[in-house]
Amino acid sequence: MSNAAATSAAGGGAARRHVDIVMAGMARRRAAERRFRLYGRIAIGVGLFFLVVLFGSIVSNGYSAFWQTELRLDVKLDASQIDPQGGRDPAILGRADYGGIIKHRLREMFPEVHGRRDRIALYGLVSNGAAFELRARVLANPSLIGQTVSLWVPADDDVDMLMKGKIKRAGPEKDRRLKDNQLRWIDQLKADGRLEKRFNVNFFTRGDSRDPELAGIWGAAVGSFYTLIVTLLLSFPLGVAAAVYLEEFAPRNRWTDLIEVNINNLAAVPSIVFGLLGLAVFINFFGLPRSAPVVGGLVLTLMTLPTIIIASRAALKSVPPSIREAALGVGASPMQAMIYHVLPLAMPGMLTGTIIGMAQALGETAPLLMIGMVAFIADIPRGAFDPATVLPVQIYLWADSPERAYVERTSAAIMVLLAFLIAMNLFAVMMRKRFERRW
Amino acid sequence: MESQAISMKGNLDEQHDLSRARAAPAPTVSRETRGQTVGELRSQSARMRCTGVNVFYGEKHAVKNVNIDLGNNEVLAMIGPSGCGKTTFLRCLNRMNDTVSGCRVTGEIVMDGKDINARGVDVVPLRAQVSMVFQKPNPFPKSIWENVAFGPRIHGLAQNKVELDEIVVNSLQRAGLWNEVKDRLHEPGTGLSGGQQQRLCIARSIAVHPEVILMDEPCSALDPIATARIEELIDELRENYTICIVTHSMQQAARVSQRTAYFHLGDLIEVGDTKQIFTRPQHQLTEDYITGRFG
Repeated sequence: MSNAAATSAAGGGAARRHVDIVMAGMARRRAAERRFRLYGRIAIGVGLFFLVVLFGSIVSNGYSAFWQTELRLDVKLDASQIDPQGGRDPAILGRADYGGIIKHRLREMFPEVHGRRDRIALYGLVSNGAAFELRARVLANPSLIGQTVSLWVPADDDVDMLMKGKIKRAGPEKDRRLKDNQLRWIDQLKADGRLEKRFNVNFFTRGDSRDPELAGIWGAAVGSFYTLIVTLLLSFPLGVAAAVYLEEFAPRNRWTDLIEVNINNLAAVPSIVFGLLGLAVFINFFGLPRSAPVVGGLVLTLMTLPTIIIASRAALKSVPPSIREAALGVGASPMQAMIYHVLPLAMPGMLTGTIIGMAQALGETAPLLMIGMVAFIADIPRGAFDPATVLPVQIYLWADSPERAYVERTSAAIMVLLAFLIAMNLFAVMMRKRFERRW
Repeated sequence: MESQAISMKGNLDEQHDLSRARAAPAPTVSRETRGQTVGELRSQSARMRCTGVNVFYGEKHAVKNVNIDLGNNEVLAMIGPSGCGKTTFLRCLNRMNDTVSGCRVTGEIVMDGKDINARGVDVVPLRAQVSMVFQKPNPFPKSIWENVAFGPRIHGLAQNKVELDEIVVNSLQRAGLWNEVKDRLHEPGTGLSGGQQQRLCIARSIAVHPEVILMDEPCSALDPIATARIEELIDELRENYTICIVTHSMQQAARVSQRTAYFHLGDLIEVGDTKQIFTRPQHQLTEDYITGRFG
């Protein structure tokens, strides 16, 4: 049909008006447009679907980690046991046998339990951390000595998993983590209202631990914080200075072309290579401490620099040349034109690039494995030179641990990391909106 | 003496030229006439004297052997069809072409007895002396006050805030913008209308007390009323400054300038008294252009 139209238009001339030819093709054009829009929607739909699945699985796995099963013990703090001299000396108070007090209390609660094996099973219901919590409580407030205090202590991770329905009661006893007598005690405690799920403060305040019920994200979060501070302090000034020089001042020649190509190449280098470089240079050659955020920050700086340089150069390029000319036209030196006029206009773009680079650095694991930030570190780092780990490495460590309770903690740690990333990206958007200027 | 000799030579060439041009009225310049300008190249009291100025963009020869004077307290208008090199030449006068990569300028531009293209000449004081107003109003995206204060501040022309304020007010007054903006000095300069923005740019230029002001089609983005206002301003500024203006409007050239230069494909074809150029052009190309036969 379109063929006929073409021949009649070509041959007949006046037989058909041009608008008819245009109209004949319209249906096809509209269909193509509709089809294209549909493809776009399908693409976005698929993307959103996977995003929802991802977030859904993480949240559904991880939300339970924000609650922890705890056990209420009414402990009698006997002065003769804790502070025999009565001097309230912290050194003596710290050395008392708090584990013994808790075990004693458990034996009182279940007087029918006899025999070494059964008693060990009974003590196993309470976390190893319970004694430390009791000790901390007494040291903070020695006036409690002599009284009977009601104390919530974390239950063992197996008890926690049972309470959350993650491990089953059924099955042969020898295959189960919790034996029949333990299940009986748990039921009794639950009936007494001594066992319940409470908000998991430990998860947000403690460092890593071999006991899942005591393991927290705070150590890794602080490690990430120090690492990112070092990265930001180094990579932002270096990146911006490099971008400004290359874009505004450097002559265009073979050398600057070579530098430009290599910056782009650097952006594509696998991050683990930067880790090996950091190990060889910063630790082996310069002798900086292993596992320290300062080395992690240096390595991530190398990795983030190309991102920041490329984004900053793009931001500088987008500043209209008329602004530079205006400044030069009244006799500003190139440096003054740069600092007073071009840099403020390019700043939002530079900041966005930097924060995206930082977000990338926050999520980076591989190079940090190489420099020893994968070690088990239970203490909260107190500076950039203390041994530390970071959030993504913590996730990796927990995902690798055999205990069932680490599964939900892994997902919870991912949620914390994602929250940080989303917050940083929102901050980037806000900065851009805030500093954006029209001209 | 020298200027007379050149104008004599120019006159001779012009006769030779005219006969050729009449014989072949096509708007091209023959090889023989290249760089041989007709009219009054030299001025009685030259502020800037250009001798044999050539500009190359890579291989392209954009301005060819231009000889011209910018007289004191005089407005020189440069006219010609698009791409004829008038803006490029204007940008030589305060070395704005330095910022264009691949651009090469040869020849002499003498000001105060010194060649501004010579080795070791610092462009910063030069541009403070020869300032520029661009085709598109380009205020900084900052306040009106900041726009005007920027130049004096970087050059250290004011000892304190009071003096700086004085310069800002004075410049805005001379640019004829004061009454319109005195109540909103701290609002962004980009919020003004096109004509106001261009006057702001002029105020910004005169705030550094230049001796020469270069204007590159300052009214091309403006309506007739704003244009009239700026033309008036140019006329007032002539009292104190040497002005060189590039324009596409022949009426504007006729209204504001004392001397006019006609460029064609990189050649300076004719220079002379504005009245004479528009009434009795000596060169065929000039005549064709001003009578609207091309361009």
